[in-house]
Amino acid sequence: MLRKKLFRTMGRYKAQFISMVIMVALGIGVFWGFQMEWYTLDRTSAKTYEATGFADYRILSDSFFTPEELEAVAAIPGVSDATRFLRVNVAVKGDTDLLGLSVSSNPKVSGIYVTSGEDYDPSGRGLWLSDQYAAKNGVRLGDQLTLVYAGPSGTVEITAPVLGLAKASEYMICLQDETQIMPDYNSYGFVYISPVLLEESMGMETYTQINLTSELSKEEIVPLIDKALGRTSLVLSKDEVVSWAETQGEIEEGVTMGSILPVLFLAIAILTMVTTMHRLTASEKTQIGLLKSLGFKDSRILRHYSAYGLTIGLAGSVLGVGIGYLLAWYIMNPDGAMGTYVDLIDWTLYVPAFCWIVLAAVIGFLTLLSFLSVKSMLRGSAADALRPYSPKRVRPLPLERTGLWKKMRFSGRWNLRDSLRHKSRTGMTLFGIIGCMVLLVGALGMNDTARSFVTVFYDEATAYESKLNLSVDETENEAALALAEARQGDWAAMSSVQVGDAPVGLEIYHVSHGLIHFIAKDMSEVTLSPEGVYICDRIARDNGLAPGDRISFSPYGSSETYEAEVKGILRSLSESVILSDEAADRLGIPYAINTVYTRETGIEAGGVISSVQSKQSILQSFDKFMELMNTMILLLVVAAVVLGLVVLYNLGVMSYTERYREMATLKVVGFRDRQIGRILIGQNLWLTVLGVVIGLPAGVGVLQYLLTALASDYEMKLTLGPITYAVSILLTFGVSLLVGWMIARRTRSIDMVEALKGVD
Amino acid sequence: MSIVQFEKVSRIYKSGDHVLRALDHVSFGLDEGKFIVILGPSGAGKSTLLNLIGGLDSPTEGKIAVDGFDISMLTNDQLAEYRAKTVGFVFQNYNLIPTLTVYENVALVREIVKNALPPEEMLEAVGLADHLKNFPAELSGGEQQRVSIARALAKNPKILLCDEPTGALDSETGVVVLKLLLKMARERGKTIVIVTHNQNIAKMADVIVRVKSGHIRSVETQESPLSAEEVEW
Repeated sequence: MLRKKLFRTMGRYKAQFISMVIMVALGIGVFWGFQMEWYTLDRTSAKTYEATGFADYRILSDSFFTPEELEAVAAIPGVSDATRFLRVNVAVKGDTDLLGLSVSSNPKVSGIYVTSGEDYDPSGRGLWLSDQYAAKNGVRLGDQLTLVYAGPSGTVEITAPVLGLAKASEYMICLQDETQIMPDYNSYGFVYISPVLLEESMGMETYTQINLTSELSKEEIVPLIDKALGRTSLVLSKDEVVSWAETQGEIEEGVTMGSILPVLFLAIAILTMVTTMHRLTASEKTQIGLLKSLGFKDSRILRHYSAYGLTIGLAGSVLGVGIGYLLAWYIMNPDGAMGTYVDLIDWTLYVPAFCWIVLAAVIGFLTLLSFLSVKSMLRGSAADALRPYSPKRVRPLPLERTGLWKKMRFSGRWNLRDSLRHKSRTGMTLFGIIGCMVLLVGALGMNDTARSFVTVFYDEATAYESKLNLSVDETENEAALALAEARQGDWAAMSSVQVGDAPVGLEIYHVSHGLIHFIAKDMSEVTLSPEGVYICDRIARDNGLAPGDRISFSPYGSSETYEAEVKGILRSLSESVILSDEAADRLGIPYAINTVYTRETGIEAGGVISSVQSKQSILQSFDKFMELMNTMILLLVVAAVVLGLVVLYNLGVMSYTERYREMATLKVVGFRDRQIGRILIGQNLWLTVLGVVIGLPAGVGVLQYLLTALASDYEMKLTLGPITYAVSILLTFGVSLLVGWMIARRTRSIDMVEALKGVD
Repeated sequence: MSIVQFEKVSRIYKSGDHVLRALDHVSFGLDEGKFIVILGPSGAGKSTLLNLIGGLDSPTEGKIAVDGFDISMLTNDQLAEYRAKTVGFVFQNYNLIPTLTVYENVALVREIVKNALPPEEMLEAVGLADHLKNFPAELSGGEQQRVSIARALAKNPKILLCDEPTGALDSETGVVVLKLLLKMARERGKTIVIVTHNQNIAKMADVIVRVKSGHIRSVETQESPLSAEEVEW
């Protein structure tokens, strides 16, 4: 019989029950979704690394590694396996596309995972092409491609059929260079060929890397490599490679995001539940007393009312798990947000074990919450339990002694006293509005910040149309200078140096045509000084450097160490030390010009130009980045609005129910429905004003935290446009007004006779 | 002259297949300025009568005219205006707003009635001038009912409708409240309609309307009604 009562009571308080189920479902759904996202990426990327033998270390060289050198490295104790490896950008003949061409002499390390076509054959005379690139460009198995490699010793063409389509962990995040933020398989992919085809095409073995797998730390292995090769080498650990570092970054971002948004959702859901369950049991107090006086044991009554929390917990959990899977799938599928960034061999969704623990804890907590709420009502005798619940007595407010109070209308006084009398309800409403505001400011501010970042770095800082990557060494600077002169271009020499233990970029610029601009931390433009160096924000932060300090750096493969004054800190995409060519000459740093920037377009690779990158293609990769961001922003805005609507509606209904008799009295006295509705909306609006005032700075704070935690690599400056402020405030007020209006409409159905005949 | 006139009024409640005729073709009139008691057992339809006069409910059939004005077909807003200007209510359970002080509970009628009487004056008239700043929970039942009377009268209505006004009070306090109601009505020329099942209260009435099973059994005029002190409680 009590089961019937359970369902009928749920029907009676359906608005609260549905709201609570939605809140729990949203809390669990968002929590599960975000946790599943990073955990799935962690598991599936590990699978991809394992299936394709992702290397732990890469030894880089300007010359070609010999089989003997490979043997020497492979023989180092602690090295599990090693391969000679080549990675170079090549052009696709008849197209403007580029491909990363790779060859691994030992396919167990830095190899591929064939998704269709023939298995990889170390002596095969064909191409194993990125399946994503093939799909985007309509390339099919058996198609013939000609790859053009412009090297220092001339241009080489490799023509072969596509034998297989594949994925490779070395290209798991398939970026051409650091200027590209998102993969764009329309214009850049990868291709593997066999060592045999490489030797036949090049006339020699041209491996510039040895990749190896080892459990040793970098500190342990570098001296062993130097000893085995008999020289100092540039060794990059997997942490310094995009496919590993960025994927780990994504996982860490997932963990960070998972600890903010979902926790906010869960916290709001649980706190709303605490308030709502207490109110529900309070309104059921006489019935609880009645059951007790009829002879039901406390334990039976407790079980009955605990079933409310349990039912809400179970229903919310089932829905929440569904939402979680949907959210995780939305991000983690080959065509979803993560699919456009990371190329994985498996997209199965995985759930971390602790998600189940949190699920059980939430259900347990909700059940306990009902249990405790009822337990407090059962205290004392049956007669005590039968007495209706009475909220705290009203006490005069300090404000009542001021002139302001006297000027306040009845509606203001009523609302203010009601808000203070029901502090937890008011607090939760405020919390919901603040949460809504924080999410809106965070989401829209992220959009503003990213747009401003693109504008500053790509529209304003770069005035070139084409970036020419050159394959020259320092003895051939004359050819590069002649090219820059002919193309009316600026030029740069990019290389790697070591600052402390970390490898960073060294970028030497000659800017005479204004094609490259440098941006200071305060977003002002900087002209490179003929003396000293500039550093990016990350180097400054990691090494505790400020302008005026001195920095030491040593190029890889050289025993030289250079020391220079830090002239300033720049916002930079790459983690680099930046200086002018004059400053480099004064410091005596040798360099090879390997990049020329020009306003000209339509330049093809050939001669010293190994590849050409157009500004357009870089901007296109940003469009994808913005597309991804817009998806996230849309999700957050929807989440904010749903959160605001559900929390405010639930609490609004609670307020309506608790003030029902008072509103019925007002109706009897002669107040119109509109007037009573306006009073209810007024209370919501005042709380919204307060929530917006608190939520706005809180949103800015959360955004700043997220930018520091998630996007420090991009050195973005927090930017919030007036439209963001306006939209966030208007949307929050919109949600509040909509809920207020929905609740106010209910005043029409107040049954004065029913409401007022009950016992006070 | 009748201030309230019922013509063949029925109020039927339906719940599924169940039909309840709370009032069945009722016709009667109530004179202005009188102290009227509607008497009947529980479920007789007396509260339904009061609710219909007060504009809290509308008849299923028939016509109700109050002060010459047909209220049976009014919209929600028109009924609200009617309640604001023509009638005042006093309930068994007082129905005060707990978060407003005594003064504010009475003063709130100024939000809807332009020529409302001063709250201080009304509260003084019911003997609560010293409790203006108290909240309802700080008052006794009798005091709360007096606030309720002050609030009803502050609108300066033509009719005061009272639903078991002494039902929640002990007899001594009940007498005080009844005396007050009678005094206010007489002094201010109000029509008072009290719904009760208490036969003793009927002894004070100018007119007694007896209701049973949704029908008017009788409308009796008492030439010499007793005062509250004369009634044996």
